[in-house]
Amino acid sequence: MATLVFSSSLLLSSPPSKFSSPSLSPLLPRFSLSRSSALSSSLSITPSSLTYPTPSKRFALSALSVRASAEVKKKVLIVNTNSGGHAVIGFYFAKQLLGSGHEVTILTVGEESSDKMKKPPFNRFSEIVSAGGKTVWGDPAEVGKVVGGAAFDVVLDNNGKDLDAVRPVIDWAKSSGVKQFLFISSAGIYKLTDELPHVEGDVVKADAGHVGVEKYIAEVFGIWAIFRPQYMIGSGNNKDCEEWFYDRIVRDRPVPIPGSGMQLTNISHVRDLSSMLTLAVEKPDAANSRIFNCVSDRAVTLDGMTRLCAQAAGRPVNIVHYDPKAVGIDAKKAFPFRNMHFYAEPRAAKDILGWQGTTNLPEDLKERFDEYVKIGRDKKPITFEIDDKILESLKVPVAV
Amino acid sequence: MGGTRFIGVFLSRLLVKEGHQVTLFTRGKAPITQQLPGESDKDFVDFSSKILHLKGDRKDYEFVKSSLSAEGFDVVYDINGREAEEVEPILDALPKLEQYIYCSSAGVYLKSDLLPHFETDAVDPKSRHKGKLETESLLTSKGVNWTSLRPVYIYGPLNYNPVEEWFFHRLKAGRPIPIPNSGVQITQLGHVKDLARAFIQVLGNEKASRQVFNISGDKYVTFDGLARACAKAGGFPEPEIIHFNPKEFDFGKKKAFPFRDQHYFASIDKAKSVLGWKPEFDLVEGLADSYNLDFGRGTFRKAADFSTDDLILGKSLVLQS
Repeated sequence: MATLVFSSSLLLSSPPSKFSSPSLSPLLPRFSLSRSSALSSSLSITPSSLTYPTPSKRFALSALSVRASAEVKKKVLIVNTNSGGHAVIGFYFAKQLLGSGHEVTILTVGEESSDKMKKPPFNRFSEIVSAGGKTVWGDPAEVGKVVGGAAFDVVLDNNGKDLDAVRPVIDWAKSSGVKQFLFISSAGIYKLTDELPHVEGDVVKADAGHVGVEKYIAEVFGIWAIFRPQYMIGSGNNKDCEEWFYDRIVRDRPVPIPGSGMQLTNISHVRDLSSMLTLAVEKPDAANSRIFNCVSDRAVTLDGMTRLCAQAAGRPVNIVHYDPKAVGIDAKKAFPFRNMHFYAEPRAAKDILGWQGTTNLPEDLKERFDEYVKIGRDKKPITFEIDDKILESLKVPVAV
Repeated sequence: MGGTRFIGVFLSRLLVKEGHQVTLFTRGKAPITQQLPGESDKDFVDFSSKILHLKGDRKDYEFVKSSLSAEGFDVVYDINGREAEEVEPILDALPKLEQYIYCSSAGVYLKSDLLPHFETDAVDPKSRHKGKLETESLLTSKGVNWTSLRPVYIYGPLNYNPVEEWFFHRLKAGRPIPIPNSGVQITQLGHVKDLARAFIQVLGNEKASRQVFNISGDKYVTFDGLARACAKAGGFPEPEIIHFNPKEFDFGKKKAFPFRDQHYFASIDKAKSVLGWKPEFDLVEGLADSYNLDFGRGTFRKAADFSTDDLILGKSLVLQS
C-alpha cells in the first residue's frame, strides 16, 4: 500500500476573510473520512489552529477503498509470455497477489520442459508455488482446457501482441464468467509527436497489433483495464536491460550510445508495474474501461542511464556517441532501447488509482549491479562485435 | 508587487473581477493600466476604475515598510521579487498577513538526469535563480502562511522574454531557424493566463499553505517541435531548421537561442491533483493566442536581431540534423 506522506503544512483556522474559501467549511464528506483524519491529527503540531486532514482527498479515499476491497479475495489467472522483456511482469504480479491473499494460477505459453524455462523468471517459479500459486503450461488458444476448467474472477493476458494471440483468451474469459480482463499492451503503440510525454488518450498507431487487441477487449468485455509498459528492470528479468551497460562498464569498454544521448526513455522497476496491476484488481470499478501507462514517473536520458549504471558499479565510464546510419549498423541490434524519445507518464494510474511509483533508479541499479556480480556475469567472456565495428568507424574522421 | 508588465497584468484583472481590492506596487515606469489586445473598452474601463496604484521602489525598504503598513494588506502577491531581503520589509509591515504568494521559478531545480522535476527534487543553491530559493527559505523560516509557484518558460501576449517572439521574427522573415545541437532537447512552456489562474486558485486555499507548485503546460516539447508549433500557430509553412554546434561560434554577449541548452521541464501533477488546477491552453493553441493578440498584430518587445543567425548560416561547418 502506498505510504502516506505528510508535508509539514500547518493549516489555518478559518479567517473572517474577504475572499471566499469554500474548502474551509466543514463538509460532511470530509468528516466521514474519519480514519485519515485521525491519522493526520496525530501529526499536526500547532495546538491553536484548526487542522484538516492534510492528505489529499483522493489519497484518503483510495486508502479506505484499498482496505475495503483488499478484503475480497480473487481468483486470478495470468497468461504469461515465455520470453522477452514482459515475462517478468507476471512473476512479480503473481507473487504480489499471493502475498495479498489472492489465488493465482500462472499459465506460461509452451511447454514446461522447454529450454526457455531454464531462464529467469521461469527458473524461479518454485517461488510462486511455495507461495501457494499454481503453475501450468500450454497453448493460450486452449486456455480453458489448460486450466482444467477452473473458473477465475480476473484474467491478465501478459502474452499476446495481436488479436490472433489474445482473442481465444478473451473469448474464453467472457464465456466462462471472468469478471475483469486485464491486458499488457505496450507504450510503443503511441504515435510519435513533437510533444511529450505520451499520455493516456493520445493517438496510437492504428495498425499496431496491440491496438487491435485493445479495441476488441473494449468491445466485448464488461470490466477491463489496459496497461502500456515501457522498459523494466528487476531481479528475474528475462531480457537484458541494465546488463547491457554493466557488460561494458565492468570491462572498461566505452559505451556506444546512438545519437545525442539526450533521448528520454522510461525504465521502471517491475515492482511498480506489479503494484499498478494489483491496484486495478483491488479497485476494479475505478480501473474499469481505463488505459494506464504502466511506467515509473520519471524519465531518464540514455546518457543519464549510462551514468547511473556507472555510479551503481562504482566505476568511471566513457560514453561515445555515434550515428547508426553513418556507421552502417542496425541500431536495434546495437542498442537495447529505442533511438528516439520514448517517454510515457503514469498519469491515469496516479489520478484514478492513487498509485504511487517507487522506482528509484540510483538505488535500484545498485541492487541490480550487486546481483550482476553475484552471478559472476562480470567475469563472463563476452564478444562485442557490433561495438567494435562502431568504435572502429569512429576513429575515421568524418568529412563534413 | 509588480503587476504592470506581464503576469501581473492578467492576474490583476482576474483578482479585480473576483471583487478583491487590488493595489499594484510599482515604480510607475510602465503605465499602470494598458488595454489588452482583445479586451473590450467596457472591461478595460471597469478594470482601470478599480485598480489602485502605490508608487514606489521596492528596493527602498524603509518606504516599502512604511507604505505597506499604512495600507494594511491581507494578501501579498509578489510577482517580481528576486532577492530574499526584499521580502523582509513586507513581512515586517504586515504582521497580520494572511498569505504571501510568491512567483518563484523552476530554474531553482538542480540539473538532473532524472526528469521531470518534482517539487520535492533537489534545488541548486548556486543557480542563477538562487535569490528565489533564498526567498522561499526565508518565507518558510518566518512562520508566515506562504505559497510559491514555480513556472518554467512563460509565454503569451505581452511576453517580454523573447520566447515565442524569437521564433515568430524568423518565421515572418522566412528565415531558417537555427537550433543548437540535436534539437531534441526538451523544454516546457506555460501560458501566462493559465499561470494567472493558478495564482488565483491558491488564494486563501489551505491546501496551498506552505506549498510549492510547479506551474506550466501539460506537455513538454522538443526545440525542433517548438519551432514547428510556432509555425503552425502563426499560419506559417513548416520551417527549415538548421542545427549548429554552439562551441564552434563566438557570439560575444548575444544569445543565439532563447532557451537553456538542456532538458528542462517540470511535472505539474501536484498542482493538478492538490489544487484541481489545469492548463487550459495546449501548446499550439497557446502560441496562436499569443500570435493573434500580440506578434501577429505587429507588436513585439525586442526588434529582430539576426546577427547570430547570420554567423551560423554563414559558416560552412554546420551539423547535419
